[in-house]
Amino acid sequence: MIEVQGLGKRFGALEAVQNLGFTVGDGEIFGLLGPNGAGKTTTVRMLAGLVVPSSGSARINGLQLGLDSRRIRAITGILTEAPGLHDKLTARQNLAYYGRLYGLTGATLRRAVDRYLGVVELAEVGDRKVAGFSKGMRQKVAIARALLHEPEVIYLDEPTSALDPSAAKNIRDFVSGLRDAGRSIVICTHNLDEAERLCDRIGIIRKTLIEVNTPAALRRRGSLATVHVQLAASDGEARRLLDALVPLPFVMGAREQEGTLQIEVRDPRRDNPELVATLVAHGARIVGVREEAASLEEVYLRMVDGDADGRDGS
Amino acid sequence: MRIGYVAAVFGKEWRDLLSNRVLLGAVAFPAIVFAAIPTGLVAFIQARNLDPNQIGQIQQYIAQFPGLSPKLAAEAFIITNFMAYFLIIPAMVPMALATQSVIGEKQARSLEPQLATPIEVPELLAGKTIAAALPAVLATWAVFCAYGLINGAIADPALTRLVFSETWLFAMVTLVPLICLFSVLLGIVVSSRVTDARTAQQIGGFVVLPIIGVAVAQFFGGQATFTLDQVKLGDLIVLVLIGVVLTIGSWAFDRESILTRLG
Repeated sequence: MIEVQGLGKRFGALEAVQNLGFTVGDGEIFGLLGPNGAGKTTTVRMLAGLVVPSSGSARINGLQLGLDSRRIRAITGILTEAPGLHDKLTARQNLAYYGRLYGLTGATLRRAVDRYLGVVELAEVGDRKVAGFSKGMRQKVAIARALLHEPEVIYLDEPTSALDPSAAKNIRDFVSGLRDAGRSIVICTHNLDEAERLCDRIGIIRKTLIEVNTPAALRRRGSLATVHVQLAASDGEARRLLDALVPLPFVMGAREQEGTLQIEVRDPRRDNPELVATLVAHGARIVGVREEAASLEEVYLRMVDGDADGRDGS
Repeated sequence: MRIGYVAAVFGKEWRDLLSNRVLLGAVAFPAIVFAAIPTGLVAFIQARNLDPNQIGQIQQYIAQFPGLSPKLAAEAFIITNFMAYFLIIPAMVPMALATQSVIGEKQARSLEPQLATPIEVPELLAGKTIAAALPAVLATWAVFCAYGLINGAIADPALTRLVFSETWLFAMVTLVPLICLFSVLLGIVVSSRVTDARTAQQIGGFVVLPIIGVAVAQFFGGQATFTLDQVKLGDLIVLVLIGVVLTIGSWAFDRESILTRLG
């Protein structure tokens, strides 16, 4: 479990991260979303015991950041922004080296290397030098390296970047399996689709956390949703029903397309009952009602742009 | 300091070195050149008779080898005088290996994943230092042994005894490893401040200048080779320099500054 309170980092005059607060439970995937320079990498480096926070505190599986940094690093797996492999070594030698640095030896080390070469589908090329590997293959080795020692807490920076769709799905499935095994996982990503598919909760960061919520709640939060009302009637009725919606204060816009009213509201759960009642009262014969929430991308861009104000971080 | 972690880093660096033929050449080539020049001179002198006029010119030098014939004394002076250049190998070679190692890691961005493990920075640096220093020490020792034996075989066993003198055996065991250590540490510190290996090696290359200066001064001072006391003084000076570089290095190489400055 990761518990963060008021965490901040300053590099000289530059405030990279300020007043971060969130928790990531066991068996939870937490997504950190933010533009370049928002402080994602600095946050992960602090939590992984690589960089000392300037303010605030954090506990990783009960270990105090700053006091137990070596033990925190021992239970942490981190996929860094760049794969950072040793080109002159083979994939197997790369993994074996890091296995030793994580305290694995002998048969345990060999089994772990073999297992994770298999997980990332590189067993057949494990004895080739990574200098000749493609970007995607290098990323796979780096993922295997992060998981080799069965860490309890995992930080993944853009885990599926450079991977083909099939390999990306395999990695996503594997990460989901790690969640099921009770690991606490933080994913830094720009890939909103991936965040939505994988993450239980998402924190939108720009130096500080702007919002933390589930992907579904974020989509609803502060954004217009479109309610599609399919009518069983003629063209003339649709025009009359649109006019009937004008007095409703929560209706932000409405139009008709091929027998369906498309009505923009702020909060469908709150507004839909009155919306439907008003339409029925004006004689609408409704075949179906469907809600289309804003995409996570729209919400993300709105939040990040709204908070921009020229701020920048590391 | 946990030996297992140091050994892991050493093993990785060693594999890296063995797979890099250019670097291996950089280790072997200077050692062979420094040994080949005086050996060639000895072979040249051995193959012909000395002109009495030449003997007069080098009387000051050959007088330091009483009991040897003028020709053998001239050869003895050459092989002992050139031995100062053996100290350039441990100054130059480990510097190249260390800068290549740190700059290479910087360029590959492979320091962060290593620092994210439970390894401590001194363990990482110790592994790198031993891996960079050991090839130079071994190369120097190997060429030193070959130098003594080959020159003895070419000319006279007396030359072998001069090479394997108490002073030079002491220098090989103490001064050579110390110079290697100093050179590696300096290479690492310099590498932490620059972005490419060539610049680091050019800056670090200044470390050989004092050694060349000592060798030249020794020649013009008419001294055939170092005395034991001079070697001990050299040990002391290098130890002090190591202390200075370690102090600077501990500041330049904390985990955070490696990540934020070196990437």
